Amino acid sequence: MMRTSKIAIAFMGLALALGGSTVALAQMDAEVEAAMASGAVGEQADGYLGFAKPPSAGVKAKVDAINIKRREGYTQVAQSKNVPIEAFAASIGCKTLAGLKPGRSYSVAKGVWATKGAAPVQLPSQCGG
Amino acid sequence: MIGRFPVLATGAMLLTGCISVKAPDKPIEINLNISVKQEVVVSLKKDAEDFITNNPELFPK
Repeated sequence: MMRTSKIAIAFMGLALALGGSTVALAQMDAEVEAAMASGAVGEQADGYLGFAKPPSAGVKAKVDAINIKRREGYTQVAQSKNVPIEAFAASIGCKTLAGLKPGRSYSVAKGVWATKGAAPVQLPSQCGG
Repeated sequence: MIGRFPVLATGAMLLTGCISVKAPDKPIEINLNISVKQEVVVSLKKDAEDFITNNPELFPK
């Protein structure tokens, strides 16, 4: 009886922990998504998220965390393909800028922000035709 | 003596020809770096697509 309850409690604990982390991830996305919808945070041609408007500390922390994970992933792929990290990051930027929703902020030239309108974003020359 | 010199000098000039060196109006642009990078970036298109698909939490919309 005692052993069964201990195992049951252990499982419950594990389930709560996993469920909690999933919720945390969703919350992280929701706050960043809201910032992106408002145009405060946007995609950059260099493959990272940036701040079109000064962010709150919370949003900044979450965006920084995403960018760090992106860079880790870019580094892995770039090394496996034997290309510069910046080149792979730029190829990601080409994709993210091409798939923007209207009203989103985006940056091609560093520090210069624009709002996506009805027309497709004019991609930098490195993205090709 | 002096009379012949100009003739000789002119003849020498005609033989050697005139080489004029003029600097170009605009600086010569070499876009090699951009085209090399473009080739690499374009070649990674599919890999970029896969990366975004496999890591949706990194690409909130």
